[in-house]
Amino acid sequence: MKADNPDQPDGRLPDGDALVGGKFDTGDLDAGVPDEALNDRLPDSAALLFAPLDKRAFGTAIGAASALLLGATTAAMLLRPGPSAGLGLLANYFTGYSVSGTGALIGAAWAFAVGFVAGWLIAFTRNLTLAVSLFLIRSRMELDEASDFLDHI
Amino acid sequence: MIPQEENAKEAYRSTLLRLNARAWGIAVGLVFGTGLMVATILLVMKGGEQVGQHLALLGQLLPGYRVSIAGAFIGFAYLFVIGYAIGRVIGSVYNSLARGD
Repeated sequence: MKADNPDQPDGRLPDGDALVGGKFDTGDLDAGVPDEALNDRLPDSAALLFAPLDKRAFGTAIGAASALLLGATTAAMLLRPGPSAGLGLLANYFTGYSVSGTGALIGAAWAFAVGFVAGWLIAFTRNLTLAVSLFLIRSRMELDEASDFLDHI
Repeated sequence: MIPQEENAKEAYRSTLLRLNARAWGIAVGLVFGTGLMVATILLVMKGGEQVGQHLALLGQLLPGYRVSIAGAFIGFAYLFVIGYAIGRVIGSVYNSLARGD
């Protein structure tokens, strides 16, 4: 990151006011800001690279994919002749699930719920990890800046 | 800011905040496909009287798949396609629901 960006040669992270409610407010980062202050921030285009995932949307996406997968798998089992070995065991976890038309709908609902929770947690963990990483990078840079403090006493 | 710059900024912003559905498809497909291929090959290498009797049940859903070296590649192809579809669904649903603020 450092020195690779021609807009921000020193690679500084955005100041506190650029991080609003856990999300980067990139609306008007450079509007009316003096050049010196602007140099202390990442350009808004670079700040977008650190934008958090939308947990609700990601959970819904994973849930929808899980529901489709289980629904399609159950339907495929129903369409093929012969006994369906194994898939019915999911009823141990998904109450009401069975390899049948109704069971497919119940299983899809369960899969959506489980997928939503999993996706939400994945997005939350990813955002948390990113935020902690940014905090550590910023703290390290601030410590580096103050490393010659004792030399001035 | 002139309208052209605003448009370019908005396009840049929406591009960066969205998931690349094709990339997600390829990534999920590779994870699924590689997972099944490795699992199959490990069982083949392990050997025994009944090699991978549980994994072989996947053959009910994936015609042609069996616990063998050739089956590992057939399974990879199947799961890559399935994983690609799942990845695209994830990317598309996320992009349609994610808030851009």
